[in-house]
Amino acid sequence: MESASIPVDAAAPVRSRTRRWLQPFAFMGAPTALLLLFFLAPMLVMAGVALDRGLLDGGPGFNLTLTNFTDVITDPLYREVALTTFEIATVAMLVQLIVAVPLAYVIAFKSGRWQLPILLFLVLADELNPMVRIYAWRMLLGREGLINEALMRIGIINHPIDALLFSQFAVTLVLSTSYLTYTVIPIYAAMKAIDGNVFEAARDLGAGWWTTTRRVLLPLIAPGIFVSLLLVYIPLFTDFASPALVGGTSGYMLGNVVNDLVLESGDLNRGAAMSIIMLALSALFAFVAYRLARINRLES
Amino acid sequence: MAGIPSPVIRPLGHRLRRRLPGFAGGLLVAFVMVVLFGPVLMLALFSFNDSSIISLPWEGFTTRWYQEAWDNGQARDAVVHSLVVASVVMVFSVVLGTLAAWGLTRLRFKGRGAVAGLNGAVLVVPWLIIGVAGLIFFSELQVPLSLETIALMHLVVTFPLVVAIVSAGLVRFQRSLEEAAIDLGANQRQMLRYVVLPQIGPSLAAASIFAFAWSFNNFEISFFTGGFEQTFPVWVFSILRQSENLPIVNAVSTVIAAAQIIAVFGAWVLIKRLTRNESGEDITGLLTGGTR
Repeated sequence: MESASIPVDAAAPVRSRTRRWLQPFAFMGAPTALLLLFFLAPMLVMAGVALDRGLLDGGPGFNLTLTNFTDVITDPLYREVALTTFEIATVAMLVQLIVAVPLAYVIAFKSGRWQLPILLFLVLADELNPMVRIYAWRMLLGREGLINEALMRIGIINHPIDALLFSQFAVTLVLSTSYLTYTVIPIYAAMKAIDGNVFEAARDLGAGWWTTTRRVLLPLIAPGIFVSLLLVYIPLFTDFASPALVGGTSGYMLGNVVNDLVLESGDLNRGAAMSIIMLALSALFAFVAYRLARINRLES
Repeated sequence: MAGIPSPVIRPLGHRLRRRLPGFAGGLLVAFVMVVLFGPVLMLALFSFNDSSIISLPWEGFTTRWYQEAWDNGQARDAVVHSLVVASVVMVFSVVLGTLAAWGLTRLRFKGRGAVAGLNGAVLVVPWLIIGVAGLIFFSELQVPLSLETIALMHLVVTFPLVVAIVSAGLVRFQRSLEEAAIDLGANQRQMLRYVVLPQIGPSLAAASIFAFAWSFNNFEISFFTGGFEQTFPVWVFSILRQSENLPIVNAVSTVIAAAQIIAVFGAWVLIKRLTRNESGEDITGLLTGGTR
């Protein structure tokens, strides 16, 4: 395995042994230290703050308590927000999957020489600044926005449709377009790995397109779908810029709760508790999606 | 073949059935492209409208919003801050990420699984939560928030992406080539320079552009771990929170979007040249490798 150091071994066994022992530190030392200091440590400090009564309620020093968690969980307003968040994230995810599976199929099997350009445009869509994209939608959807103005000019409607902006619809729409690249590419990758002959075999055996899709295509791309879920569903349910800018009061999501707790009310303890709960949910979801992706890959 | 009921109709139906999926596929692609890029194109179009309200009617062509944006100190500072932070983050991420990718794919050591897991975890934890954790961490340590804290936190979330992309590149190419180079008398440095680097060149190029974009586009972490110095996304956010849509935001956004389009196409050409592979198989491998 240590092929690179074999000749050195032969030349100077002692030096090479220390070198071999030190080598991992040379490569992994700085990156790992950075992750421990500025990823793991902040997470632990945040967990500590979430378990502390806080300066206002408990005075100085660390006062262990679970009240931050119980406060956040039992608050009926937050429960309602959690439900809205679940609804928006799930609908956005489903919309993206419904678009992404056929789109990935078209790119992988039907696009010919357009395959690379289409992929390039998908990457480009992701690289465009998210804030620019959100702003562009806000401009289109507003009360005096382009869509309402255009519809009124044509004469389809008499009054602007208010529900276009500052609504759950707006957040769902913007979120659905924000992560499409990450939904399509894993599914596309899974499709590229399929041997095209299986479709021919299915057809020869008398399967229609629906049977082929359900019994051949979907099982083969299932690992890709789970990777998409892993990459997209978690950011969807923690998103905070889109609901803040196009959501209004009805599109208020958990991310906004965290923002308001931490930055508006300065309640670091409850904000930290809320973040830890969201982190735990993400971890649970990631674990399940990862497991499903693995199991399916082994089977196929 | 004998079982086909009406041989006269079949060719037509057959032709339709063969054409229709292609047509529907084209329509789907067109629809997705319009939804993804249409709004940004409209945004760019209305940055040239001679009206302070961003809507119809079209009042005439002007470039004054670009002049106003250029004269707006906050806007200029925000863009410059983002460019500086993203450049620094890109360089450090590529160096650290490539080191770690080499270590994780080519070396055996205790705790390798744990380190790999830590790298992966960073990519799955939402940026909002990393941002809040960073804010709490720095405030507990009483470190003032600044561009430096933003860059540090960006680096932490970005270099694991480089690890993922470069690892995929390292795993894909055959290690026997490295062994062959050593057997033929190359020393370690020559082996890295003449065997490994050309192989992972495209991965490094892709990783660089993604690292830059991740930092440049990052909103959540910049928002929570930044002080008074705003980055571009934070500037847009704060303007939109305070007021209605503003034409100068259109102008700055158009410039940013145009630069990003040029950067992505430039990277595309560069990677294509590096792979020297007209079939493009390597590029799709590059795109999909990280997700497998």
